Amino acid sequence: MASTENVIEIRDLVKVFPGVRAVDDVSFDIKRNTVHCLVGENGAGKSTLIKILTGAYARTSGSTLLNGREYVPSDPRDARQQGVSTLYQELNVVDTLTVEDNLTLGLEDTTFGFIRKTDKINDMIRVMNSLEPSIHPKQKVSTLSVAQKQIVEIAKAAASESDVIIMDEPTAAITEGEIKRLFGIIQKLRDQNVTVIYISHRLDEIFAIGDYVTVLRDGKHIATKPLSEVDGRQELIRMMIGRTVFEGYTSKKRTVPEVVLQVRNLSNEKLQDISFDIHKGEIVGFYGLVGAGKTELARAIYGAESFKGEVLLNGQPYKSAPDKAIAAGLALVPEERRTQGLFTILTVRSNIPVMNMKDISRTGWINSARERDTALEYIDKLNIATDSPEKEAAKLSGGNQQKVVLSKCLFADADLLILDEPTRGVDVGAKSEIYNIIRQLSDEGKSIMICSSELPEIMNLCDTIHLLFDGSLKASMANGADVDSEEILHIVTGGE
Amino acid sequence: MATTTSEQVQTKRSFSSRISNEMFIVLLMFGVLVLLVVTAWIFVPGFAQVQTLVNLVTNNWYIVILGIGVTFLLITKNFDLSVGGVVALTGVLAVYFSQAANVSQNELANGLGFPYPVAVVLALLGAMSIGALNAFFVVRLKVPSIIVTLGTMMVARGIAQVITQGAQRNTSLPQVFGVIGNAAVPGTTVKYSVVIMIVLILVAFILERKTVTGRFTYYIGANSDAARLSGIKVNRHLALLFILSSLLAGITGLLLASEFKAGVSGRATGYEFDALVVSLLGGVSIAGGFGSVLGMLVGALILSTVQSAATGLLLSPDWQFTLKAVAVFLAILAQSYVLKRRKG
Repeated sequence: MASTENVIEIRDLVKVFPGVRAVDDVSFDIKRNTVHCLVGENGAGKSTLIKILTGAYARTSGSTLLNGREYVPSDPRDARQQGVSTLYQELNVVDTLTVEDNLTLGLEDTTFGFIRKTDKINDMIRVMNSLEPSIHPKQKVSTLSVAQKQIVEIAKAAASESDVIIMDEPTAAITEGEIKRLFGIIQKLRDQNVTVIYISHRLDEIFAIGDYVTVLRDGKHIATKPLSEVDGRQELIRMMIGRTVFEGYTSKKRTVPEVVLQVRNLSNEKLQDISFDIHKGEIVGFYGLVGAGKTELARAIYGAESFKGEVLLNGQPYKSAPDKAIAAGLALVPEERRTQGLFTILTVRSNIPVMNMKDISRTGWINSARERDTALEYIDKLNIATDSPEKEAAKLSGGNQQKVVLSKCLFADADLLILDEPTRGVDVGAKSEIYNIIRQLSDEGKSIMICSSELPEIMNLCDTIHLLFDGSLKASMANGADVDSEEILHIVTGGE
Repeated sequence: MATTTSEQVQTKRSFSSRISNEMFIVLLMFGVLVLLVVTAWIFVPGFAQVQTLVNLVTNNWYIVILGIGVTFLLITKNFDLSVGGVVALTGVLAVYFSQAANVSQNELANGLGFPYPVAVVLALLGAMSIGALNAFFVVRLKVPSIIVTLGTMMVARGIAQVITQGAQRNTSLPQVFGVIGNAAVPGTTVKYSVVIMIVLILVAFILERKTVTGRFTYYIGANSDAARLSGIKVNRHLALLFILSSLLAGITGLLLASEFKAGVSGRATGYEFDALVVSLLGGVSIAGGFGSVLGMLVGALILSTVQSAATGLLLSPDWQFTLKAVAVFLAILAQSYVLKRRKG
């Protein structure tokens, strides 16, 4: 069985979500005992593909072979038993248990309900020792660093005879030195007949550790080739973004140089010394990878996170708290719609006025007629698909939920709207509607700050583009024909 | 909530789909109540009198008043288990403050001799300070309310026990002390306590449905992060609700102390659970953001009906708890079944 050259073969794989083909007819092979990297922009389909391989998602169609045999895992546990383990970004270790207990968690051999100490445990400890001798089996996991916890998980996967270990952004939360050590471990695993599927946004890592690379874009397979044949990061970036033409964006003359938001030397735990201005009617984009600090920046300006530095709205300072920010003329569409933006169990009607109750009430008394009219007005204006304003927000589709959150902020009548990932989890149709609303707002003289991890979105909409990497503002540019998306990707992936 | 939908569909849709889930549950439980009353009217000896119906409303007035605060807090996903203790504490404080000073050898007969209005205000402040303590631990220190109020329940009752030496104070009280809890509306047998309950429930219902403050309660319960990011002062609102709940418990404590002309440290034991039970019976969800004081009132009436039917059937009082349990389980099963079907 192990004679087949390819450990995994993917054929015509398709995954359709309502309105999106997240994985669109993808076929490629993963060679045995290699480190196979998977790259692509956010939304390219990497995580969906991985979730199909680990059994977290069911495919729409297509086939996958593991060691030449049909492989359709029913859930992550089944995948693990068949030989495909995953190292997730959020680690699956239990802090309160010892290393040894964590290794055997879920794999215990029992006799009449009592745990038996078997060779398996000793096996795992041996594997772990060979990977990282500094970890003691009796140590509490809570005393380990993130990198050490990763190693515990890797040891668990390696010792349970995995053919394939998938690593999803394993370096996102660990230090330079630890990354080097992780790479050493990955090489050891490869020597022990384990194939590693490695996902990272950091292209330098891909070149440092990978044997093969597969590029995905918009759910489609673009290329799979040995990294030795890839002509530097520029070629990889070109494949990732393709020849996407950013239509849509038309530069406008800024006739009003009036500054709405002034940010000077803003710093906190995640952010370093950020300064910029936003003008009246301007759409300003912040682009960066996951963890670059976009959300933290949005939340700091909105007063939801503490910071040092100076922030002025219309020349005035305001206290750092959401209610003060709203009063000063700000509104935020948060990153996580369901947990931070929407009141899912309440009706569409009662969701919309929350940021500006004054406008539907007098001396504290709600004017029900005005509340209903407001809801109907926004349902009409933003084309929210609901049969009644009394519908629970939870029952709407993602795109329509996002429009409700947007309505909420529009009703607050802010001078500056901060939109954090405004189209995440939104289908294509609703996406373009939201883009039109944003452009219209800008025409009406509103200023807009967009934080996004989708480059096309930024290049489509924004007059000014700021690039974030690791909490710092690395570059700023006016949008236009001369903006080079390769250069942008180079900067936000950590290139100098 | 208002029973409106967009015009085109209104005619085609059935009545039940035109009202909010909340009012649907209230109506459902009202239906259950009617069914119970009719059944008891036919089968329970001695139940078939108008006076019985009046009693259903008046019997549990103290649970209804406590239920208002408990319901509002439950809508924000918080528990208040301290209300029973606060009832006892406030009663004991009011009596202790009102009792004449230095009149007897018996320590329990000597109070502080404050004028009655001063004693009332101070006792209510005492009640509200327990609410403030709840608010401090829940809002500032982020301790779960179920734990905090379990603690303050014992704090309040503990203070009451110290002041009464584990028993009660019932002597050297001014005449005025017993008026409010015993007087009836002229020409009827309806006590002022019941009138106060009716006024409070009306005010609470209007507050809940018609005011911005009431609406904030739902926003916070539905999603407190989103509420904060939408500019609602979540902490301040929760603190106010905890203090309001304690104030209502304080009013209940004053009325009960007046009715019995005594401050009893063991008064209202278990009322915190009755208040919780009637809220749940009325369809208030512990998942937050859902429920109404009107439902809680219906829940209290259901509980009254079950209790007085049991008395009519000559069941011994030992059965009361079991009956309550059965009523609660049936009601909650019915609610979740119907809500699921309705949501499809």
